[in-house]
Amino acid sequence: MKSLLPVLFLALLAAFPIGAQEVQLPAPDMIVGQPAGQPLTGAALEEQTEQVAGQLRCPVCQGLSVFDSPAPMAVNMKHQVRDLLAAGYTGEQITRYFEASYGEFVRLKPTMSGMNWIVWLAPIAMLGIGIWAVMSFLRRSNKSQRASEAVPDAGAVASAEADDPELLPYLLKVRELAYGWPGGNPPAEGDRS
Amino acid sequence: MIVAFAGANRAGGYKWARRFAYAYAALVVGANLLMVYALLVHDFSVGYVAQVGSLATPTWVTIVSLWSSLEGSILFWGAVLGVFIGIATWTNRKRYPEYMPFAIGTWLASAVFFSFLIAGPAQPFNTVINPPTDGPGPNPLLQNHILMAVHPPFLYLGYVGMTIPFGLAAAALLRRRLGHDFIRPLRTWLLVPWAFLSVAIVLGGWWAYEVLGWGGYWAWDPVENASFLPWLTATAALHSLLVMERKGFLKGWTLTLILSSYLLVILGTFMTRSGVFNSVHSFTQSAIGPTILGFFAAALVWSIALLALNIDKIENEPSNLTGTSREAMFLVNNLLLVLFTLTVLIGTVFPLLVEAIQNKQISVGSPYFDRMAVPIGTALLFLMGVGPALPWGRATKEQLKRNLLPPIASGVVILALGLLFGARNGWTLVTLFLGGYAMHVTMKEMWLPAWKRLRSGESVTKAVVDTQLRRGSRRFGAYIVHASVIIMMVAIAVSSTMKQSVEQQLRVGESMTVGDYTLTFFGAEVRDEPHRQATIAHLAAYRDGKLVTNMEPRMNQYLTQREPIGTPDVHTTFSGDLYLSVLNIDPRTNSVGIHAIINPMVGWIWIATGFLALGSVVLLIPTRRRASEQVQEIAASAPISLGPPAGATTGETR
Amino acid sequence: MNRKVLLIGLAIVVPIVLVLFMNLGRDPRKVDSPLVGRPVIDFSLQEVSSKQPMDIAALRGKPMVINFWATWCVPCYAEHKVLTRIARANGSKVQFIGVVFDDEPAKILRFLAENGSAYPTLVDQGGKVAIAYGVYGVPETFFVDAKGTIVAKHEGPLTDSSLMNYIAMVTGGAR
Repeated sequence: MKSLLPVLFLALLAAFPIGAQEVQLPAPDMIVGQPAGQPLTGAALEEQTEQVAGQLRCPVCQGLSVFDSPAPMAVNMKHQVRDLLAAGYTGEQITRYFEASYGEFVRLKPTMSGMNWIVWLAPIAMLGIGIWAVMSFLRRSNKSQRASEAVPDAGAVASAEADDPELLPYLLKVRELAYGWPGGNPPAEGDRS
Repeated sequence: MIVAFAGANRAGGYKWARRFAYAYAALVVGANLLMVYALLVHDFSVGYVAQVGSLATPTWVTIVSLWSSLEGSILFWGAVLGVFIGIATWTNRKRYPEYMPFAIGTWLASAVFFSFLIAGPAQPFNTVINPPTDGPGPNPLLQNHILMAVHPPFLYLGYVGMTIPFGLAAAALLRRRLGHDFIRPLRTWLLVPWAFLSVAIVLGGWWAYEVLGWGGYWAWDPVENASFLPWLTATAALHSLLVMERKGFLKGWTLTLILSSYLLVILGTFMTRSGVFNSVHSFTQSAIGPTILGFFAAALVWSIALLALNIDKIENEPSNLTGTSREAMFLVNNLLLVLFTLTVLIGTVFPLLVEAIQNKQISVGSPYFDRMAVPIGTALLFLMGVGPALPWGRATKEQLKRNLLPPIASGVVILALGLLFGARNGWTLVTLFLGGYAMHVTMKEMWLPAWKRLRSGESVTKAVVDTQLRRGSRRFGAYIVHASVIIMMVAIAVSSTMKQSVEQQLRVGESMTVGDYTLTFFGAEVRDEPHRQATIAHLAAYRDGKLVTNMEPRMNQYLTQREPIGTPDVHTTFSGDLYLSVLNIDPRTNSVGIHAIINPMVGWIWIATGFLALGSVVLLIPTRRRASEQVQEIAASAPISLGPPAGATTGETR
Repeated sequence: MNRKVLLIGLAIVVPIVLVLFMNLGRDPRKVDSPLVGRPVIDFSLQEVSSKQPMDIAALRGKPMVINFWATWCVPCYAEHKVLTRIARANGSKVQFIGVVFDDEPAKILRFLAENGSAYPTLVDQGGKVAIAYGVYGVPETFFVDAKGTIVAKHEGPLTDSSLMNYIAMVTGGAR
């Protein structure tokens, strides 16, 4: 029994890190497991802090990230992110750590699970539909161009009619005056340059 | 409104419709002046004054508090609408008698709704039973900066102004005709609110940058998105209008975009005022939300019905479209802008969808929107380079080579400059290259008419003034706007990825470095002002040992708020901004926590917007074109382009 | 009648209007806490007047009310009166604990001197406990039953009736 006591004491120390703070809380590895990455220092640490904190939503602000927000709570969270990164936790682990307290709301980028797929796939799907629509529009226009090229005279007047029936008589008159076409109708085929 | 719709086909109807339009304008502007008067004399028996008035605030704050809170802002909406309706009616009073009554009717229908809001759920004039002797004043965040006097009016001019092209588009659909003559007012009245909205959106970003203290200017906040959505569809509409004018097709699509712009404005107003969205801008929840939603749904149903029933009568079949023509480029432009609109819309509304179906709260924030916006923005930048370089109709291989290859050199130059200054991010480098490319094309196209004239021996003034501003004002203005947007996109890319940021606690005499600057803290000062107490941090910024400027970021403690609100200090230079904000400050121990950021190229965004506004003004200069050109254009607008046959006079090819 | 336009239009419009309608009246700031139904998170903080550390794990066995607040939070003043009064009446049945974060001990002591104190107030320097509990704003209150499970979280100030309801919940109905 006596030999177990120091082991127990050490286990307790590991589970509840006492250190210089007066706060004692359960260690992160009870929520997200052991650190899965390398401990970071210096410039890499700052860069990763910006990355990870930039993906967390400041709980007391309107839509700002933990990295950007000047609010005291966000600043505290940023310090925690830095400490966890220095201890070797990965960005995903840190995000899950805060998610355990705050819920999925704290993630600024929605996860790709369940219903959230809609918001990630929708833009790509819409792009696909849009490209298809533009291509079929182009194809359709080329077909009609070829169809009407075969019957130029009837086509010219007919499509002018479709464009703006109320302006048609004026259009014909203008063509007559400007180009010298009798009645506003273009001359017989063979004369198009 | 009833008179306008009923009298549309009768001789006197138009006249009476106009009279009612003027009457509405006069009444609602009068109501606004009355409210401003009540605010200025601090009449606290008026409900709205009791809500936002205060004896302690400076006079300009008292005046702008007209739009600082919900009820007053709806009243202000009415005034802007009245002014727009009045001017739109008056400038067209002698024209388009077959369209205008329908347009006026539609405008007044919108006016009826907002008047109903003012009279009912958003009543600002209600009497207070026991008037207080003083009021709380508007939200302190709105008193910090002069932009409060500028951003909301511009935004309202842009937002509310979309009602006018909506009415015109509706008139065309109701008349089942969109003649060539009607394109001009449609274009003008789409451009005016578009220009105001463009400036307003950037002003909003500038305000957030100067006031909120986090060093950024755009956070994809739902209300920011709400202002951006109609801008996107209006921009698409402006471009498809060009195709409509030149080639006669895309009429139905253009009208759809114009209708959508207004509908997105109503949606945006719902998002801002309903309290359903998480936003910096949110007003508190009130009965106004469901009312606006009801109006939105009704307007949507009406617009869809109008389109479904009438679009076939208006639309023309396109012809002769090749993939490498400018028309095709416009199609892609529209595709990208509409894709952008729908993506931002879905992203903003998605958390509500998840809440409604899964009862779970999630966030869709900047990381998502940035991820979507960057590729789309880059594609648009690419298009701005390639589109104007392609001719209308078919392009020969020679033309393609001549137009598309030389700008590559400019792209490379800008890219090299960026690398020189330290740009390493992939997207930023692509943006720099495309920006250089697009700017080359834009400058070439912009000055082409004047260049041609100069080469044929004309004097400089005549070439510039006559060709660019009088005859080619539309082309010139458009390219100025394009150039501004290119600069803005490059500046946004650079400022987002090349930021440097440092946080540090300082005691008196201590220094910190950020980028090239050394900042020394000299002490904290407490200054008492009538409505707030400011604790100011005095710092000096040095570069290369020389003093550049003194900086005074501060924390403001307002009498009516418990938490102090920080105001950053920004020093803007050509290359970038030095941005300081106070994290914490203690005058007793004379210590301060400073967040220092270097934001490269941010000032370029604001300056580019100024040019954009200038370009819009140029775009609106009425063109004086030779009669034969106009004839040619009308004759050529028939779907089959017959062209001038041999023997006919050839006008200027564009 | 162009069917395509009608269908596409309705397909875009109907979902949006429906979603907006279903969210009317809901407070967007209200977020469900993932801690409800989970075991209470143990922590040890310094008590503000005695300056001694207090570990809430030692309080297991008795239902708890953990109230997060701060002196700069205006709605907390009225709530403090409610809590003090009800804590005095029910202190034997339920353990009340106050946790203050983002604040100064001097200000807290002054506040308690002016407004009375009926239960321990702990100082969360650095806000770590507030973060662990997923606190979105102040005031927020967590209700823990005798077995150590968080049964409810209340956002915003408590009133007499709501507080008594929660107390009934954690004591298992015995009033």
